Amino acid sequence: MASPLSNGAERGSLVVVRTVDEVTSETFVRITADGSVTAYNGHVDLGTGIRTALGQIVAEELDVSFARVVVVLGDTADVPNQGATIASETIQITAVPLRKAAAQARHFLIARAAERLELPPSDLKIEDGLVRGHNRSVSYGELIGSEVIRLELADDVQVKAVSDYAIVGQSMPRVDLPAKATGELTFVHDVRVPGMLHGRVVRPPYAGVDAGPFVGTSLIAVDESSVRDVPGLVAVVRIGDFVGVVAEREENAIRAAEQLKVSWRPTPALTDLADVENALRANPSTPRTLIDKGDVDAAISGAAKPMQRTYVWPYQMHASIGPSCAVADFQDGDIRVWSGTQNPHVLRSDLALLIERPESEVEVIRLEAAGCYGRNCADDVSADALLLSRAVGRPVRVQLTREQEHTWEPKGTAQLVDVNGGLDADGGIAAYDLATRYPSNAAPTLALLLTGRISPEPAVLQMGDRTAIPPYDYDHMRVVAHDMPPIVRASWFRGVSALPNTFAHESYIDEAATEAGVDPVEYRLRYLKDPRAVDLVNAVAERAGWTPRPVREEKDGEIVHGRGFAYALYVHSKFPGYGAAWSAWVADVSVNKTTGAVSVTRVVAGQDSGLMINPDGVRHQIQGNVIQSTSRALMEEVSFERGAVAAREWGAYPIIPFPDVPKIDVLMLPRQDLPPLGVGESASVPSAAAIANAIFDATGVRFREPPFTPERILKGLHGEASPAPQALPAPAAPQLSRIWENPFAKRTGIFAAIAAVCTAAIGLGAALLPGRAIAPIARPDAAVYSAATIARGQQLAALGNCAECHTTINGKVNAGGRALQTPFGTIYSSNITPDVETGIGAWSYPAFERAMREGLHRDGRQLYPAFPYTHFARTSNADMQALYAYLISQPAVRATAPANELAFPFNLRPLLAGWNALFHDTKEFKPDPAKSEAWNRGAYLVESLGHCSACHSPRSALGAEQRNAYLAGGFAEGWEAPPLTSLSQAPIAWSEDELFAYLRSGQSRYHGVAAGPMAPVVRDLKALPDQDIRAMAVYLGSFTEAATDAPALAAKLENATKVTIAASTGARLYHGACAVCHEVGGLPLFGSRPSLALNSNLHSATPDNLVQVILHGITEPVSSDLGYMPAFSNSMSDAQVEELVTFLRQQFAPDKAAWTGVRETIARVRSSTH
Amino acid sequence: MTQTPIRLTVNGRIHDVMAERQTPLLYVLRNDLGLNGPKYGCGLGECGTCTVLIDGAAARSCVVPISGCAGRDIVTLEGLGSRDKPDAVQHAFIDEQAAQCGYCLNGMIMTTKALLAINPQPSEQEALAALRYNLCRCGTHVEILRAVMRASGQLAEASD
Repeated sequence: MASPLSNGAERGSLVVVRTVDEVTSETFVRITADGSVTAYNGHVDLGTGIRTALGQIVAEELDVSFARVVVVLGDTADVPNQGATIASETIQITAVPLRKAAAQARHFLIARAAERLELPPSDLKIEDGLVRGHNRSVSYGELIGSEVIRLELADDVQVKAVSDYAIVGQSMPRVDLPAKATGELTFVHDVRVPGMLHGRVVRPPYAGVDAGPFVGTSLIAVDESSVRDVPGLVAVVRIGDFVGVVAEREENAIRAAEQLKVSWRPTPALTDLADVENALRANPSTPRTLIDKGDVDAAISGAAKPMQRTYVWPYQMHASIGPSCAVADFQDGDIRVWSGTQNPHVLRSDLALLIERPESEVEVIRLEAAGCYGRNCADDVSADALLLSRAVGRPVRVQLTREQEHTWEPKGTAQLVDVNGGLDADGGIAAYDLATRYPSNAAPTLALLLTGRISPEPAVLQMGDRTAIPPYDYDHMRVVAHDMPPIVRASWFRGVSALPNTFAHESYIDEAATEAGVDPVEYRLRYLKDPRAVDLVNAVAERAGWTPRPVREEKDGEIVHGRGFAYALYVHSKFPGYGAAWSAWVADVSVNKTTGAVSVTRVVAGQDSGLMINPDGVRHQIQGNVIQSTSRALMEEVSFERGAVAAREWGAYPIIPFPDVPKIDVLMLPRQDLPPLGVGESASVPSAAAIANAIFDATGVRFREPPFTPERILKGLHGEASPAPQALPAPAAPQLSRIWENPFAKRTGIFAAIAAVCTAAIGLGAALLPGRAIAPIARPDAAVYSAATIARGQQLAALGNCAECHTTINGKVNAGGRALQTPFGTIYSSNITPDVETGIGAWSYPAFERAMREGLHRDGRQLYPAFPYTHFARTSNADMQALYAYLISQPAVRATAPANELAFPFNLRPLLAGWNALFHDTKEFKPDPAKSEAWNRGAYLVESLGHCSACHSPRSALGAEQRNAYLAGGFAEGWEAPPLTSLSQAPIAWSEDELFAYLRSGQSRYHGVAAGPMAPVVRDLKALPDQDIRAMAVYLGSFTEAATDAPALAAKLENATKVTIAASTGARLYHGACAVCHEVGGLPLFGSRPSLALNSNLHSATPDNLVQVILHGITEPVSSDLGYMPAFSNSMSDAQVEELVTFLRQQFAPDKAAWTGVRETIARVRSSTH
Repeated sequence: MTQTPIRLTVNGRIHDVMAERQTPLLYVLRNDLGLNGPKYGCGLGECGTCTVLIDGAAARSCVVPISGCAGRDIVTLEGLGSRDKPDAVQHAFIDEQAAQCGYCLNGMIMTTKALLAINPQPSEQEALAALRYNLCRCGTHVEILRAVMRASGQLAEASD
């Protein structure tokens, strides 16, 4: 962003510039006549606080107060082109000309002041830009006056001696935090420009793969009609495989992107990444020898103890907390892109190439984004926004989804490091022969590939060589980098290849020390020649209280403790590169040998950073690196399905949570007299090795492949047959009939049987045919009914859920037309408003009553029993009258329902007479004198209009409720309606009070919340008074024996099923996606916190309801007090949902058998129209 | 599709919002009300960057539709305080330098606010548990925990 101080208000200015060519120059420092200072740097702040440190440097060299300096970062129109912000080089490299420019400006101003004050410069003192000499003073502003002074940046500028520093080297609070902590406009996500629209992109199915002939060529068609109903939709844009939508409102852009039907060619088979080691070994590569010293081959063959080791690093994510976002405004000759890019100038070139315009027309305005730690999707989304803005001619903001960022961000690549070598007779390293494979490149901006602007042939870059040469002075040493193209989209990520290479170096030397029987720290010191490294290693060992451990001590007990050391000098940038800060770790771990859980309990992290500009800033960076890299070592690994990225949300790619963060002791060596070094990455580099070495110390087992998950630890400790926690196989549960929800087509085998039964029944039915027509009447006048009667009718209509079936989504109440899926076809509900022609306006009360009791239309047609007249028949006369009164008192709506779509023979209505003869009992409800009044009242409500058993009883093959299985559980609309009898699978039996709570509020503490088709039922029941709900609870409660001590049982169940470790994919999904709202005892959040241990659905015989809520969420709860559940259908694959469902069952219903057919249920529920 | 305005009370002010009832609160806060505090992080309620207070409880605004917010009291980061007059929790986070990139900061502050409302002096363990499902990628956990302790007036206990 342009500096607010560099506008035209000043009279004069002094700038220090570097001339690039005849027309271009780059400004580093600008001082204006009002005394304000602006510093320009081509790098950007990725969340490390570099803006603050650069301000300190400039303030120091200029002798002005820190507060006077404004730092401008990354805007291509203003700042020097200093390349991408990578490799921790801002302080080390790009700050150098800035410092010189500030010093040069000071020299110039002092010389001028000396002249003005007629004193030698040595007699002058400067305080915050005011030059004092004897009794006179002059400010920088006054020295500049109205002049426009332009200094060409000189190379040989005298900068301040460190001993004179007053600002640099002092801890300074970050300048950006007050704005961030109070919600001021800070991030690119916050940019809003007039007329701005919202865009979303739709990415191709080759998720996270950016090379191959199918890239940019896989789109078949985009069906624009599929989004025609989205309000405010502005455009659907398609260029090659680039697809995007633009809408006036963001939520509608989201909806359009989700709803848009796009057809893609099948992606050819991708590299299987289940076995990363072999995938990398098979990837074509070119060897590049980085060092070959001594006679490696001879030394290996002569080794007293050969040691050949392989270290495998997993694919990992940058995992920025904020998915990338950008705003673009494409106007002729003036193209502006607000971006969170790491490399504004490179991005500008990409954008110019993308839209075939000169770079000079494109301005990239850099704002902060979520921390990226390398190349994420910040550039991609900038290009996406530009394409969409160009298409609509208005500014467009594009926000990538979490799923898109996870899937498409260039990954930190997997890496394979082979080390061959061994020990000589004296226990020294005989030879060290390392080969490293790092399939990564710069990850071209996605839109260039998707639109076909650049070739999808992957570039092979030399990136695997960072810190590939160990810091140890081995006599015989060879290091070869096998340069190779990426397998999936990959680019630099904090520590680049240095972290995995160091994992190999530091694991190997630890293994060698163990073999040699020498303390690992002492062993390292034998080979470390760099005095600063030696100092650091000693200082960290001392700080941690390291005790020499030449021989590993065997540990007893279930939980064992260990301590590990690792050291690195992070050598980065193009080979041979240069070093950033030195770093060393002592990690303490505890390992639970039963569960496999590793806990990093404490880290002593020491660093020699040279001069620390802002020591607090360095400390924060060290802590941040320690935490992030501990997370990477313990739990981070990208999962793939058929070679495409599968992890699309935080459950599938967990990062370290607060309780798992180690205690950190930071040791910063005082080196203020030595040049400053990059500190953004160094402390990550020793991490995984220090932890692996500590795990070895604890367990005696060497782990050479992070992440050190419980499964991997158990496998290492116990071999393949590790005792992974598994539920015991339980006896198979009875399977409920699901015919009612199954489309007939899937059950062709029983079609004939049903038809035969029906046809047999027709003989009996024929005798009862036909229904006689009842003459139409003029629309009755509701005024003949009292207000009280109508109000009572309204309650009864609610009890009967009439509106639920007789109203379409967002349609007029009771106007019919809602499609009801039955096993026999689709039935459309009728219009029950008092419209004379299309509704029941011409129906007399006798016609209405006959329909309700006998299932006959006024004209004599048989109605289908999807209309539960078998229940309504039991309604009392008074209530029937009231219901009629209510319905005819409502507004008439003219609406004709579509014709039913039923297959033969069910399209023959007369057949239903046979059905009635077989299954319909028209008897009115008769109270049972042996029971209480409340029980009888409840029975009446439940059995008549309430028609509970219509869903909660199983149905026969002919769709009739099974009388011998009353309330024994059924299915409706793809949901299980659980048994309300003793067949209930609920772990705590329903009591009258819990039934009341559930029917009244939609939630029972001991069972869960009403969802699916039950939610509208409970919502409708709000119309009924408490005593009716209580009566229903009394009646329904009489079918089960209530638990005796529900609170104690609940506590017991919850305690027994606490999720303490994440030892499976399913458990990790639970932790990432579910636990925030479902963990017992968590921080209260808006809405309810249903306890999974008690939830009936987890204990049910079928997984249907669980799968339903996971895939579709709860968007319409009984009331907003219960809160909402998001749908995970777009965020989890079938395989992931299966893992999650299987885990939840095993964890929270441990006494129940594992569900079978989970995968099929997921597929069925996913494809249902819910 | 019929649309009636939904009345929201945000940071003490009443807004009648014309948007579909299923629209997540987050988009209305950011786009209709121009607020920057709540941020989009995952859209699934997993990460906590979108946290606001609804009737005093922490709420993940990316998964709460505006239809569920009518008649409720919504507070965002902006409603706590400003740069010149920060709320005690904001102040503590600034003092402890408890942000690196700062994207998760909104969620950390709002969740702390909700925690302290029901537990004014949480132990470190309680604070860690309360923030368990707020994700930070930069590794600012140490500073954030200190900020929670500072905000609750117990910094001495948080020091090593």
